Amino acid sequence: MASTEGREGQTPGEGMTMKDHLLTKGAEMLQSMKPIKQYKQHVCTFALYSHDMNRQIETHHFVHRLNEDFCQCPVYDSDDRAGRLIGVEYIISDRLFEALPPDEQKLWHSHYFEIKSGLWVNPRVPETVAKPGLDIFAKTYGKFWCTWQTDRGDLLPIGEPALMVSPQGEVAGMVKAPLLQQRDEKYALSSTKISDLRVDITGPTFKNPNADYWIKHGKGFAIDVLTAEMKKITPFP
Amino acid sequence: MSTHPMVPGEPTKTGTTMLETATAAVQKFGPINGVHQHLCAFHFYGHDMTRQVEAHHFCGHQNDEMRQCLIYDSPEADARLIGVEYIVSENLFMTLPDAEKKMWHSHEYEVKSGVLFLPGVPGAIQRQDLAKVAQTYGKTIHFWQVDRGDNLPLGLPQVMMALTHVEKRFNVNFDKERENRAYMKGLEHGIHPLANAGGKGLKTELREVDCHGGAGAHATPRVFV
Repeated sequence: MASTEGREGQTPGEGMTMKDHLLTKGAEMLQSMKPIKQYKQHVCTFALYSHDMNRQIETHHFVHRLNEDFCQCPVYDSDDRAGRLIGVEYIISDRLFEALPPDEQKLWHSHYFEIKSGLWVNPRVPETVAKPGLDIFAKTYGKFWCTWQTDRGDLLPIGEPALMVSPQGEVAGMVKAPLLQQRDEKYALSSTKISDLRVDITGPTFKNPNADYWIKHGKGFAIDVLTAEMKKITPFP
Repeated sequence: MSTHPMVPGEPTKTGTTMLETATAAVQKFGPINGVHQHLCAFHFYGHDMTRQVEAHHFCGHQNDEMRQCLIYDSPEADARLIGVEYIVSENLFMTLPDAEKKMWHSHEYEVKSGVLFLPGVPGAIQRQDLAKVAQTYGKTIHFWQVDRGDNLPLGLPQVMMALTHVEKRFNVNFDKERENRAYMKGLEHGIHPLANAGGKGLKTELREVDCHGGAGAHATPRVFV
C-alpha cells in the first residue's frame, strides 16, 4: 500500500523502514562517493523564472569548484536534509564567458547585482571571511536550469526544464519583499546591512550585454519537449 | 592546486581553497549529506539512441518511493556534474499527468539485464535495492553533453532515456548478473504505454517568450476585441 498523498510541501510516498535504512547505510560504507565530498560552500540566494519573472524562489546552492574559473552547483529548495533537488547551476568566470558564442551567452545571467545587494549570502560564514570569495563570484556568470518547480506546489518534478535568471536592479528583476524578509529572518541576518559591507565589491570589467537577455530584449526563454524521430543507427563514415 | 584536464580555467588559487576549507567546516550541507548511494548506468539522448553516456548517479531518498540523483560523468573527485535524475515508484508514476509520463523511462530492463549496478557493493546486498529499482520510473535531464566533446555545459537541457530492450552495443558480459537477477519482479502493471516517450524520440527546443514583470512591474495591458 503506497501513500500517494503528500502533506503540504512533502514528497508523497511511504517512509523508509529501519531495514531499508540499515541496508542503505551498509552499502554507503562500501562506496567511495568522491564527487559528493567536494561540496565546500553553501550559498543562499534568489532566482526568477525566465519565462515568468513574477515567480521567484529562494535557492540553496552547494558549490563544487573544479578550478578557479568554473563551479558546478546542485540547487535545492532548502538546506535541510529533506531539501528537494530543484536544479543545477553552473558558474563561470567572465574570462570563460566572453569566449562563448552569443547564442549561448543569452542563456546566462550575471551575479554582480545579487551579491552587491546582499541577496546572495553564505549562511553561518562571517562576512569578513566570505568577502574574498564574493569578489570572485561578483565577476561570474551563471546558467541555471530548474527541473522541479516546488514554488507552484508540485510535489513531484513535473514539466519541462525551466531557465532561471538572477535578481537585477531593473524593476522586473527585483525580489519581492516578503520573500526576502522570510529568508533574512530564518538566518537572522539583514540583506541591507550586508549590502552596506559590500560597497567596494566590483563586477566584471566589461558586463556583457548578451547576459541577462531580458533586460535589453524584454524576453525570456521557455523549453519545449517535443516528440521527434529517434535516431537509431550511426551513419557509416 | 586543483586544475582540471577537461574543463578550461586556471588552477584553483590557494586563497580560494583556504576559504573553501573554512566554509566547509561551518556551513550546513543538509541535502548533500542525504546523498548516500552510487548507482552506475547508461543513458542515451531522447532523440538519438546512438549517443550513449555513462552516468554515475549519486542518490538520496526523499522517502521509500522517491529518490533524487546527481549525475556525474565519472566517480572521481573531479567528475563533471552533467545532469539529474528523479526516480519514483510505480504508484507515484501513475499519479503523474499523462502529458508528463512521456518524459519518464522504465528501469525494469536496465536492472534485470545487469546494466544498472551499485559499484563496490556485493551482489546479494545490491540486489535487495535493485529489486526495488526494477519497479520504478526515472526522469533524467542532462545539461552537459560531454560525449560530443563539450568542455562547458553548452546548449539546451536534454531529456535522456534508458535501455528498455536488448541493445548489443556494449561488449561487457552481463550474462552472469542477468541470471542472478532473473528472480526480480518487474512493474506490477507492466511498462506504461506513455512512458519511454511511447517508443518515440524526444527533443528540446528553445522558445522566446514575453517575460512577465517581477515585483515592480505593472500588469501587461491587454486589449480585448
